Amino acid sequence: MTESKADTHQVLCMAMDIGKSMIRCGAEANRVEETVTRICSAYGGINTEVFSIVSMILATATGKDGTSDTQTRRIHGYSTDFDRLDKLNALSRRICKETPPPEEVLAELAQIKSDRRHLLWYVGIGYFVVGFAFTLFFGGSFQDAAVSAAIALLLWLLTSFVRVQGLSKLFFTALSSAALGFLAVFFEKIGLADNAAMVMIGDIMLLIPGLLLVNSLREMLCGDLISGLLRLLECIILALAIACGFAVPILIFK
Amino acid sequence: MTITKILTLILTGTLGTFGFTLLFRMRKRLILWAVLSGCLTMGVYVLCVHYSVQLFFQNLFPALFATAFAEVLARLTKAPTTPYIVCAVIPLVPGSALFYTMYHFIIGEMEQFHEMLMQTLSVSAGLAVGILCVSAVMQIVTKKPKGSQKTK
Repeated sequence: MTESKADTHQVLCMAMDIGKSMIRCGAEANRVEETVTRICSAYGGINTEVFSIVSMILATATGKDGTSDTQTRRIHGYSTDFDRLDKLNALSRRICKETPPPEEVLAELAQIKSDRRHLLWYVGIGYFVVGFAFTLFFGGSFQDAAVSAAIALLLWLLTSFVRVQGLSKLFFTALSSAALGFLAVFFEKIGLADNAAMVMIGDIMLLIPGLLLVNSLREMLCGDLISGLLRLLECIILALAIACGFAVPILIFK
Repeated sequence: MTITKILTLILTGTLGTFGFTLLFRMRKRLILWAVLSGCLTMGVYVLCVHYSVQLFFQNLFPALFATAFAEVLARLTKAPTTPYIVCAVIPLVPGSALFYTMYHFIIGEMEQFHEMLMQTLSVSAGLAVGILCVSAVMQIVTKKPKGSQKTK
């Protein structure tokens, strides 16, 4: 069976779409490169060269008949969704084993992308619990923790239902930090919270890019220096954005 | 450290880990394992604080433990390692130190600012080194050079 140009193209297209979705869920660069390579070779590609960083995937696949195809995917922004990443991993394992027709895979991919509603509540509870737990963890009172959890819920509503298009992650982080700070100070002023600083600290943990740091370290260790450094830089810049955001209410009220 | 303080740290730290497993949308059957690893990591941390180990090592040891335990869990549950590491280590991430660094800078208390900045940096460095050490060892042990095919 010889593969036409369209086949190589289709397969690579499918592999790249999966790769892009994986990065958008917070996968490491080398994992994405591996997945794209494996999918292409499962469909009979003789050579696949993939390069991936956090914001782009670039790949050239060569089919059995010698035709080759090059595609790029640009990735704007990503979040953390291990559940979806897991489904994508399962899908790519199944693809490598069974090599189903690409149309079928694309339909399944679309389905994976669409089912997120039922997990939204989880995330809300997560925000609530994190805000509550870390305020106590860093020495706040129960009242502080309750206020912090309430503010965390507000932040969750903000991040999941208000999608401000074109607002960069950096700016969004700074703005929401400032908003959280103002709320914390407000609750302290009306006497609901004992210590605004404790409330702020609890809520900071929600914004701190912990996964980013771990991913960046592991990528650099695997030799993906560019991707690792990009993430590390993002991490530092986000930390600065958080600090700047919280600085505003403190500057005004102290 | 008093017993109350120890219990508070471990309980709230574990609760925080649980919160993050939800936040990162981990699968239900993995959450329990992640929470267990978070709890044990906090235990290691509390031990380090109790014996007043230096700040850098106070975070290095728990990170070492969390990463090693995550590698074990990942193999047991056939899941990726990273989520386990992040969820276990997250209570140690210097959120409060970062806040106070900024706070003292704004207030203009430069001495405390430097102190908190150094604290933020050494805590981060401790975590980073801990995670890197175990990851590096695992890379050598499992011998999976870059670009090779992963076994299923």
